Amino acid sequence: MKYCVETFDLTKNYGDFAAVDTLKMKIKNKSIFGFLGPNGAGKTTTIKMLTCLALPTSGTATVAGQDILKNPNEVRQKIGMIPQMVSLYGDLTVKENVHLCGDFYGVHEDLRDSRADELMEMVDIKYAENKPVSQLSGGMKQKASVVASLIHQPEILFLDEPTIGLDPTTKRILWDMVEELNSEGRSIILCSHDMYEVELLCDDVGIINRGLLAAFNTPQGLKDTMITERKNEKISRSSNITKIVEEMQKEASPEENASLNSVKDYVEKKNRDSMELSVMISNLDDNLLTQLENLPITYKITKQHSGRIVIDMEDSEESVTKIISGIIENNGNITSISTKDPSLEDVFVRVTAKKEEVSDDNGGN
Amino acid sequence: MIMVETKKIKWMFKKDLMVLWRHKPRLISLILFPIIMITLFGYGMGGTLTNIPVVVVSQSSGPITDATLNAIKGTNIYDVVNIINDPNKGKQMVMNGQVKAAIILPPNYDDMQSQSPKNVIIDADSSDQMASSALVPTSQALFSQISNQIGIQKLQAMGLSSSAAQSSQVQVQSETQSQVLSSPTPAASGINFQSIVNSINFQINKLYGNISYIDFLVPGVLAMVVLFSCMFGMGESIAGERERGELARLFMTPTSITTIVGGKIISKLTIETGRAVILIVVAIALFGIVIAGSMLLTLLLLVLVALCFVGFGIMISARVSTQEDYMQMVQPITLPMMFMSGVFYPVETMPWIFQKIAYLLPLTYANDALRAVMLKGAGIGAIWLDVVVLLGFTALFFALGVRSFNRDV
Repeated sequence: MKYCVETFDLTKNYGDFAAVDTLKMKIKNKSIFGFLGPNGAGKTTTIKMLTCLALPTSGTATVAGQDILKNPNEVRQKIGMIPQMVSLYGDLTVKENVHLCGDFYGVHEDLRDSRADELMEMVDIKYAENKPVSQLSGGMKQKASVVASLIHQPEILFLDEPTIGLDPTTKRILWDMVEELNSEGRSIILCSHDMYEVELLCDDVGIINRGLLAAFNTPQGLKDTMITERKNEKISRSSNITKIVEEMQKEASPEENASLNSVKDYVEKKNRDSMELSVMISNLDDNLLTQLENLPITYKITKQHSGRIVIDMEDSEESVTKIISGIIENNGNITSISTKDPSLEDVFVRVTAKKEEVSDDNGGN
Repeated sequence: MIMVETKKIKWMFKKDLMVLWRHKPRLISLILFPIIMITLFGYGMGGTLTNIPVVVVSQSSGPITDATLNAIKGTNIYDVVNIINDPNKGKQMVMNGQVKAAIILPPNYDDMQSQSPKNVIIDADSSDQMASSALVPTSQALFSQISNQIGIQKLQAMGLSSSAAQSSQVQVQSETQSQVLSSPTPAASGINFQSIVNSINFQINKLYGNISYIDFLVPGVLAMVVLFSCMFGMGESIAGERERGELARLFMTPTSITTIVGGKIISKLTIETGRAVILIVVAIALFGIVIAGSMLLTLLLLVLVALCFVGFGIMISARVSTQEDYMQMVQPITLPMMFMSGVFYPVETMPWIFQKIAYLLPLTYANDALRAVMLKGAGIGAIWLDVVVLLGFTALFFALGVRSFNRDV
């Protein structure tokens, strides 16, 4: 089995509203897949359909090699889910909840008990096994939910925003656990709004927007695509304006030509291949700022708080060196410096801002 | 496979009982609610009844019979369903529940010459305490008046003056009220005034003995408590669990809706049976009610009633996603059902449109069957129709509930 999940025009309509629209997606087996999307984009609905908690309006999917419509119980047996809303019985203890789930998955009693103990040890909740779930903290509830979801040793684990509302320490424990489960050969499908979490854990990322799969790649692949797209946009914009100005110059007077030349220079400069550099200078003053603005490689400088400036400059190998030299020559004291590449969050914002774009080759590899 | 499913059902049952035990306020309310209900309704209810269905058995014809029938028809407490001439048939109609009383006029009712008193008998359905307690005094007053009028007519026929008759009538009434049946007051002509004026002997036959209002109320309240408990309980059990995401945990597992619903039904039925026993024990201890029929049949009926309303609850909760939604849907059904199904007042005394609606409500059949067993001592043979209707409602509710049950969370 090459893919743990494969969707075939998966669609879910609520009345006239298409929450998920002809979704085609393939998720590699034994990978950690990050499923992103703005609120209401359709990711929870997709997860519900894949976990057989909601019926698709049309289309279908295979999960762990089983069709969600034809063999829903086989799918349920092979998957585990840690839902957004903790869905354990608050009045039952951790142990009772885990045993209940074990029995509902048909796990033999002896195996159930030993696995429950093993899993509770693994997530460090064994000491609270006799406490009612309602008395546990958010992090402990999530841990209990993890144990209940793994009691039947699923092949695929779905996590719907598992770290929402958790403290950083508990988040890290869960992340470690996700990596450990993946290293054991389980496929993980992670829905999250935490870009850091997704970037840290996921092998592949899919971004859904308005029910459509808007992007699918590795986290680095998505960022590279964004950089390329930005460059192409600038080149295209510059080239279009230059063509128009050149047409105008054919019929222009010498004075007008001079003005048009300056317009052309401005446009080319504005749309030249550029990069951003963030620098913090402890003794930043107006004189230093002017010196930097006058450097030929500098397009624009934006002054931020606490001596931080963001320099929009020519994208070349020497540019960074030239800027640093310029600061040092003018007695500037650099306290930090970093290039500003697009983050996964930038990719997310860019992708989800597009309204009608649909990838023909939706995901898959 | 069967073992696994059995274990799941056992879990559903065990889980619901554990949750109940750990929710002490809910548990206390579960026990206190029926006690409060029975106490409040036992001591506090009252009302005026009209249009009680009766049958008149007329074995004679003539002006007095006609006048009496007109008087009965003109009294708004009676709704004369039929006028027949067979006393046994009249009694049977009462026992079948077609009417609340049979007013039996004797064969000599129109015989003005007869010196012997006319025995008017009322066979009353005393299991309907509300109806019989309203019928008896009204009928007594009506026939006392008729008796006096007959007496006056007799005296006039004998040539005595109206004023003499009036004074004699007052005297006789006075003696009747004081229960002093001393030697007849001799008149100048030697006529026995009492035997003339007091010409109707009025006799009440309470077919099921003396039944108090609390006796009448208990079966209805029992059914009503089961109704509310099942309806509200299913709201918590299904809509509440769905809302809290607990049901989703079960739906994630390879488990059928039938198994989940089955487990819920068994746990609910167990709770309701226990609750019914508490209610009966409290009613016996506090108010000394007597169950005329089989205690086992009473309990089985309550289980059937609970099953029916659990089915109703499942049907309503099948598609709602929150408990509040469920409550909003259930309240407009349960409250009118409570008032229209004869818990407090006999169905027959309601306006005709409500009567028609009442027979579309399962609680009406539950009340009818429970009253028949608990008050009249009826067996399964007498209540089979109610049982069949309740079973029909139950099957319908479960079929619709399971069919429309929304697994989407």
